[in-house]
Amino acid sequence: MTHSYSLNDPLVTTILVFTSMSVSFLVLLIIYQSLKSRVVRETKIYLSGEPEEVVREASPSVGNLYWGFIKKFARSIFNTLINKVQTGSIHEWFSFISSWLGILILLAVLMSILYLLAR
Amino acid sequence: MDVFQLLFATLIFPGLVFLTALSFLTQYLVRKLSARMQRRMGPKYVGPVGILQPVYDFLKLLRAKELLKTRYSMIRAAEISLLLGLSSLVASMLLLPLNVYSVGSPYDFLIFFYMASIWPIIMIIIASLSMPGPYTSVGVSRLLSILTVSEPAFFTGLLVPVALASFDTNAPLMISATAVRVVNLWMNPLTLPIMILVTISLIVAVQSKLMLPPFNIPEAEQEIIAGYETEFSGPLLALAILLHDMDTVVSALAIVYLVLGGPAPFSHASIEGVLLVILKYFLVITVATYVKNVFGRYRIDQALVLLLKYGLMPAVIAGVLGSIYLYL
Repeated sequence: MTHSYSLNDPLVTTILVFTSMSVSFLVLLIIYQSLKSRVVRETKIYLSGEPEEVVREASPSVGNLYWGFIKKFARSIFNTLINKVQTGSIHEWFSFISSWLGILILLAVLMSILYLLAR
Repeated sequence: MDVFQLLFATLIFPGLVFLTALSFLTQYLVRKLSARMQRRMGPKYVGPVGILQPVYDFLKLLRAKELLKTRYSMIRAAEISLLLGLSSLVASMLLLPLNVYSVGSPYDFLIFFYMASIWPIIMIIIASLSMPGPYTSVGVSRLLSILTVSEPAFFTGLLVPVALASFDTNAPLMISATAVRVVNLWMNPLTLPIMILVTISLIVAVQSKLMLPPFNIPEAEQEIIAGYETEFSGPLLALAILLHDMDTVVSALAIVYLVLGGPAPFSHASIEGVLLVILKYFLVITVATYVKNVFGRYRIDQALVLLLKYGLMPAVIAGVLGSIYLYL
């Protein structure tokens, strides 16, 4: 248990670490540029039947994110939304929204009373 | 810390040269162990017992292979992103107790996590999106979905022992202070369950963070070619592989120091301490490789649910228990 540590300022540490990152980036860039293969070949783009929009936009597809996260992972949220909110019946939508709004109003009233009592 | 010391730490030890060498060695270990678990030989011909195979593969990709591009590729952006990811990992090594010239300070764990976990993954995503393709898009989407759970799990898993070990010191959330004291948490019967939960969480979180099976769905081979790295070739693929290996090394070293206590109960300067660090590092890599070889790939929804159950939940429970322990 003889390892000692100095108590620097967190700001100094941050500056040192970012300086280190900049230095290593420059060194890596020089090494990479001097060693890398210069052979570059342009090929026709292979899209597997997808439209060209797939590669034109520099961001991942919103559809993929939705499918991967909401519909697959958060399936219970998805099912709740489909079965209780978007059933197609305005009565069910109204009862869902009004119940939540009712809870919020009750909470607001409760918090107001507590605030007044605490004063 | 003067300029010479900073340059030595950045470029030689524990920075660029050491981290690169350890990355190649770790890749060799993972490949050799995986091969043995699958009754294959693994790397054998380049260097003694094939130990230089990863170096040879890297140099071949970097120097001999051609870089393929399409008219939408942004090669320069991909190169710079990957190099920034590599340099952030190199800089993060300065904060580990391996560094001879300590630059630590209170709350340096937050700086470490930012450099070692946030930067590299963002840079991989930017590099991947700079070389667009249909499989790249699907891979990045899956990667982002996985990250929503794996990064919080990894962060919480590391934060709990750091907070517990450095809570009542004058150096809160400091890596060096944690590395010295975390072994006491394993000895204390009240904090032992917390450490076990943290270890379970980190085993799962590291597999997903490094995109190893069963969480390798972002680069699902055969299904979406190579996912987020499908369009990488030649020198770019060399950089991407090196970035992945360096990420493996830094993540494993973080667990060795922040959860397993590094050289404790010995010091860094002793032979026993050095051997213990090597042994713990080897243990972490072996466990990760074992899990990689035992499990098949999960679908994205299965992966996310399992990550939530066995990665994030144990870490959150450990955090709650740790808070109760600290404040009662």
